[in-house]
Amino acid sequence: MSSITTDSKLDEASAGDAANGAHLSGPGDHDDQARASAPEIDESQLDEQTSRALGFVRKLVDKMDMKADVFLAPDDGEDGSEDEIRLEIEGPDAGRIIGKKGAVLEAIQYLTTRVVHRPGSRRRHVSVDAEGYRARHEDQLSQMAKRLGQRVATEGKVITFDPMTPRDRRIVHMALREFPGVRTESIGEEPDRRIQIIPNRAG
Amino acid sequence: MALKELIRTIAMELVDHPDQVVVTEIAGENNSLIELRVAKEDIGKVIGKEGRTAQSMRTILTAVSTKLGRRAHLDIVD
Repeated sequence: MSSITTDSKLDEASAGDAANGAHLSGPGDHDDQARASAPEIDESQLDEQTSRALGFVRKLVDKMDMKADVFLAPDDGEDGSEDEIRLEIEGPDAGRIIGKKGAVLEAIQYLTTRVVHRPGSRRRHVSVDAEGYRARHEDQLSQMAKRLGQRVATEGKVITFDPMTPRDRRIVHMALREFPGVRTESIGEEPDRRIQIIPNRAG
Repeated sequence: MALKELIRTIAMELVDHPDQVVVTEIAGENNSLIELRVAKEDIGKVIGKEGRTAQSMRTILTAVSTKLGRRAHLDIVD
């Protein structure tokens, strides 16, 4: 009951998708392809942190010798995160950029967060996704949180998750923020910090 | 060469003194040892809390070196 790890099939699926995408585009034309699907955002109007994030991930993907394009995703304003910097990576090498269980993507996102936050700068969430991988992962995690929230509300017993990243914990907190009958808390210290879903009334 | 450039690019964005970033690569037949040197006051920035920044660089380095059919190890020299 307490063993909640997040995904296993997702990354394989994404890697496969990306590999399939490879022969859809001929050599060299992935630039045009990504630009066509990129939302229209005037990159000359970006604030300093956003443009730094975008520049860094583009440079990184280039130095990794990966065929992929990086663009800014419009903020959906969901979960009260209007201030988030959201980057999307698309292209034939997206599967490698995601890595096993999203490890490479997570590393890129972490480094980007470090690069964006200089001393004295505003704290902002940075999200780097590739081919919708993170969106799917977050969706599944959020759904699972709600299912477990329902169980806690019904059975009145605390459920403790396995350790998760701050980002994933936030998704669970957000998913259950207004969920009737339960609340969420984090316990323990990084990197073993875990979320608990707690019934509002023991029973 | 590509691996060295990769680490140099990341490190230069993380530190306060990019001019003091020095990366060397000792390349064997199938493996590379990448040594990263930064200014003393920047070492914490390339290692990070709980070593997470260094870990992230290693994850990316592994992904790229695997693609090249090599094994690479990142050493932060202080």
